Amino acid sequence: MGDNIMAYNGGSVIAMAGKNCVAIASDLRYGIQNHTVGFDFPKVQRVNEHTFVGLPGLLTDTQTFHEKLNYRMKMYSLRENREMKPQVVAHMCESLLYERRFGPYFVEPVIAGLENGTTPYLCAMDLIGATLKTQDFVLAGTSSQAMFGLAETLWKPDLDADHLFEVISQVMLNAVDRDALAGWGCRVWVMTPEKVTVRDLKARQD
Amino acid sequence: MEVLTAHGPKQVGFSPYQDNGGTALAVSGKDFVVIASDTRISTGYSIHTRDGNKITQLTEKCVIASSGMQADIKTLFKVLQMRMKAFEQQHRRHMPTPAIAQMLGNTLYYKRFFPYYTFNILAGLNEEGEGCVYSYDAVGSFQRVPVSCTGSGHELIQPVLDNQIDRAHQKGLGHWDLSELEAVELVKDAFSSACERDIYTGDHVDIAVINKTGIHWDKFDLKFD
Repeated sequence: MGDNIMAYNGGSVIAMAGKNCVAIASDLRYGIQNHTVGFDFPKVQRVNEHTFVGLPGLLTDTQTFHEKLNYRMKMYSLRENREMKPQVVAHMCESLLYERRFGPYFVEPVIAGLENGTTPYLCAMDLIGATLKTQDFVLAGTSSQAMFGLAETLWKPDLDADHLFEVISQVMLNAVDRDALAGWGCRVWVMTPEKVTVRDLKARQD
Repeated sequence: MEVLTAHGPKQVGFSPYQDNGGTALAVSGKDFVVIASDTRISTGYSIHTRDGNKITQLTEKCVIASSGMQADIKTLFKVLQMRMKAFEQQHRRHMPTPAIAQMLGNTLYYKRFFPYYTFNILAGLNEEGEGCVYSYDAVGSFQRVPVSCTGSGHELIQPVLDNQIDRAHQKGLGHWDLSELEAVELVKDAFSSACERDIYTGDHVDIAVINKTGIHWDKFDLKFD
């Protein structure tokens, strides 16, 4: 697994907030150290009508954690007969991660959603469930330093859905181009109160 | 290294190197260059000074900026200035920028097996008046480039430069021929962004603009946190 287990598969996710909208983007590479094995492995899933969960890190844990989360969310909706709000999804992730405090899942969740269908909600977590809530952007993955530099420069508050899409796309594309372990295509989801659009970006395939 | 103590042999470590942090950046234009570096000197989580000096003028057309270990930076600058004085005595003229570039590469390679822990950027005007930027590794390999950044903030800033100057991933647009003012604004934005997320970058930025009228220095404030 090498010295850095979070860089074994590689991959990056970023989420940003705009005016009554959120966008989340993920690269599509599936690799095993320096060997690329697949080009259609997004690290983001839409878990319910108003929430996305991105899970960069060790991809076996990405898959397992998505499955655990889906199971818990389905049980919640059966018992409560209502949808889980984004904040509650985040708290559930926190709890699932801390359960494994001394043998953690090697994922760093990035959660984006619209509270009440209108208010942007962003949350990031470390691998043992420490949360960070913010109003601008959250990100994780092997390209995190590159994404931070671009996001700090390009993001501004109250962007509409189209501008937010452009900003998050430029951040993702330019950041993964400087990272050998992320890239091979990018997928961007934009959620507004009316709809969700998903677009694949034309990216360098290396 | 192992030492013998009263309780038996034990391992102690001494590293001759330290990373004092910081970021340096240079952008070249057709007939000017802008070069800048922050002024924070730190070790670990402590700041030694907010008014350090990582950038220095070598001739009236050439400036060098470095990041890495402050002791090696200071010594390297002294050694360079010494060798430049010798050149001026021997050749009866100031050293042109490409010659300084080669000399810096050689100076670094002399210490190939105990390197200067310095990551350098050299910026200046060549004899034709064009802006040049040279980027180095610690042991002297170098290349002339249009734009370069180095130091603790380089991972944050480099993609911003790819996106804003080379205009990568911006359809239909090619390399941007910036004016001096635009270059300075971009450098200030890049440092502001790096300062937000990199703990070793902050306090102030020393900026030098080199053009045919000379070298103009400016100091730009960053956050102190």
